[in-house]
Amino acid sequence: MEREEFTLVRDMLRSFATRFRADSPDDVEPSTRATAQRALDELGLTDLRRTSPPAATVQECALLAEEHGRQPLTTSLLGTVLLAPELLRLLAADERPESPHGARPTIALARDLRFPGSAAATNCVAWDCEGADGALYVDAEGGVTHVEPGPPAPTADLLRGVRRASAAGRPVGRLTPQAHQRWQAYALVVVASELVGAARSFVEQSVAYARERHQYGRPIGSFQAVQHLLADASALAEACTSATRYAAWSLDNEPPDRALTAARVAKAEVNASAVEAVYAGMQVFGGIAQTWEHVAHLYLRRILVGATLLATTADLLPALAAPEADPTIAREATR
Amino acid sequence: MTGTTDVPLDFGDPADLERLRQDFRTWLADHPLPERGADEPLPLFLHRWHRQLHSGGWVGLDVPQEYGGRGLTALHQVAVSDELGARGAPGVPRIGYLAHALLRFGSEEQRRRLLPRMLRGDDVWCQGFSEPGAGSDLVGMSTGAERRPEGHYVVNGQKLWTSYAQYSRLCLLLARTGLPPAPGSADGAGTPAASPHTSISAFVLPLDRPGVTVRPLRAANGDDEFCELFLDDVRLEESERIGSEGDGWPLAMTTVAYERNALDTGHLSKYGLLVERLRRAADERRGTLADGLLSDIGRCAVDYQVLVAHARRRTAERLAGQGAGPESSVDKLLMTRAEQRLYETALKVFPEELYGEGADVLSDYFYSRAASVYGGTSQIQRNIIAKRLLSLPADRRA
Ligand SMILES: Cc1cc2nc3c(=O)[nH]c(=O)nc-3n(C[C@H](O)[C@H](O)[C@H](O)COP(=O)(O)OP(=O)(O)OC[C@H]3O[C@@H](n4cnc5c(N)ncnc54)[C@H](O)[C@@H]3O)c2cc1C
Repeated sequence: MEREEFTLVRDMLRSFATRFRADSPDDVEPSTRATAQRALDELGLTDLRRTSPPAATVQECALLAEEHGRQPLTTSLLGTVLLAPELLRLLAADERPESPHGARPTIALARDLRFPGSAAATNCVAWDCEGADGALYVDAEGGVTHVEPGPPAPTADLLRGVRRASAAGRPVGRLTPQAHQRWQAYALVVVASELVGAARSFVEQSVAYARERHQYGRPIGSFQAVQHLLADASALAEACTSATRYAAWSLDNEPPDRALTAARVAKAEVNASAVEAVYAGMQVFGGIAQTWEHVAHLYLRRILVGATLLATTADLLPALAAPEADPTIAREATR
Repeated sequence: MTGTTDVPLDFGDPADLERLRQDFRTWLADHPLPERGADEPLPLFLHRWHRQLHSGGWVGLDVPQEYGGRGLTALHQVAVSDELGARGAPGVPRIGYLAHALLRFGSEEQRRRLLPRMLRGDDVWCQGFSEPGAGSDLVGMSTGAERRPEGHYVVNGQKLWTSYAQYSRLCLLLARTGLPPAPGSADGAGTPAASPHTSISAFVLPLDRPGVTVRPLRAANGDDEFCELFLDDVRLEESERIGSEGDGWPLAMTTVAYERNALDTGHLSKYGLLVERLRRAADERRGTLADGLLSDIGRCAVDYQVLVAHARRRTAERLAGQGAGPESSVDKLLMTRAEQRLYETALKVFPEELYGEGADVLSDYFYSRAASVYGGTSQIQRNIIAKRLLSLPADRRA
């Protein structure tokens, strides 16, 4: 997209998000969810990653996912608009999908919401299902099946629709090893981006609150202890932002293995730091953040579940502790 | 948050950067690292390395050609820094922040005279900002440069913590050219308030000038890095002032803003190499590592790569037209986080360092503790973020 065009799309999504955000968990009902999803669909974003070459770069999609994460929204932008179309695009680049899939699929994950492990699974969950009529499941070998979403599955993230499903679905095709790496990197980046948006936005909200809220006759934001808490939170949010945006750019410009490493780094950073940033923000809000009515726990829930999505810290850190393959680096580092 | 973009960024053309990397690798193959002599002080060794790099055109890639650089972008400088780190070579010479200060505040004559010499390594520079009574609160400095009717200045005072002054020829000196401020006027956030910020000026001080005494101080790791500087009736010419009278404060802020970015200081490559060393050690000792140490190493790898991504994002933002400003305090906190966690982990992976075997990690570990002090303490960085980036209200009790 041209820069102007991107700004236009981003602003459109921003005003949609402001209109349809859930101000409290009590706003989250089936009818309001459906209305919001319809409104999102009317923005016509589903073609962003459907065509080859795609209409939007990964960097642009990541920024839109960030935007979506800034408000408590029940809509599926990630699953149905960004992730499933990209998966089909990656498949189609190698082979035609064998059989037609649902008109509007989302993606399916292992039951613990991670990328499927090497053991063949019988059950999975359709993730981010608002408005979806099916889900695509990528097994550990890159085989893709189409699964039917079943009854709702419980999740701590009150905004996200998740449904049970059987992993033994209808085969759709297979990703090449390269396309599989690319797919994993893309999924990590898109999910991390939404969490980045959530963390940034929540820190900004707590900064605004610190300016307004008075105790001892002055704004709490004038206390150095509060300032340092917020300064640290915003530094963490910046770290998440840098890592994730760079990983998105890597997908547009670098080979898939490098992009996957950058995406894993980003997810590991977000898993750890986005949670810390939200904790700091909640501390600044004080008692009000501990109530059901306040949005704080909606953000915390999204980020807590998000930190286990696709790849947990325990999955990522040992893998990232493995030495580089580059022989020149190996030689120098052992001197 | 101010200072952050929310539009797609250009991190450079991978093919163009790859070509530069290839050229650099070819050059490195023909110009192996100099050996460090057994008793050779680190700064002298680094200086030889600096000159060798310069001879191949690998210093000041982003400095305009008319001042001795190559007129490329900061992203090219990043690529060179990456390559050095990957090869275990010492980093890019740490002159980026000084060069930026001169580029912005120096006269055309000063830029043409001083920058090529700085890039070539003909002049080694140090930074004379801090004083015994003015560390975090730089505005409280008392070194004075008194202007004489004949036009020159006479400088008196004392500087402290001047790194590598004993190996330097020139010092970027801050001195007061106006009245001293009322006590307690600065909050550490560098907010240009009233007169204190307009009464400081910057000078180029040749350290062999009569009246200058340099006394090295021993650091906790045993090195003599920093020095005390005594200035007794030192004469400085008007042409040795950088910028106008009163430009010292904005010049200092520019310098430290660049100094706080991991890119400009060339630290990144050093971290990258240690991360790789830790990974190799972990690989060799698989199974015998203490609980959690593998995760600690993974976390260090993440910190390092996040810092690389962050430095690239800052560079891309700078190329898109944002100057270095208060957001560099975020960079400094992230750099400190990476460095301190890295060396703490290294001591756990190489415990023999604590029992007298090998001392390179232990020495660097001590230096990592200084990361939250030099270049402005972590508390000062947080004050700056709170006030300048987040616009939180001032504490009116002060
Ligand atoms: C290895 C090393 C190299 C250095 N190299 C140079 C150099 O080359 N040139 C140079 O000019 N200087 C150099 N310095 C000096 C460095 O910039 C100062 O040490 C630093 O700014 C802190 O000043 P100080 O040591 O006087 O500590 P102080 O300012 O006395 O601070 C002591 C403690 O109080 C805290 N504190 C102070 N004010 C506040 C506040 N407003 N809010 C909250 N906390 C506060 C600080 O964070 C710190 O923890 C170097 C220092 C080191 C350690």
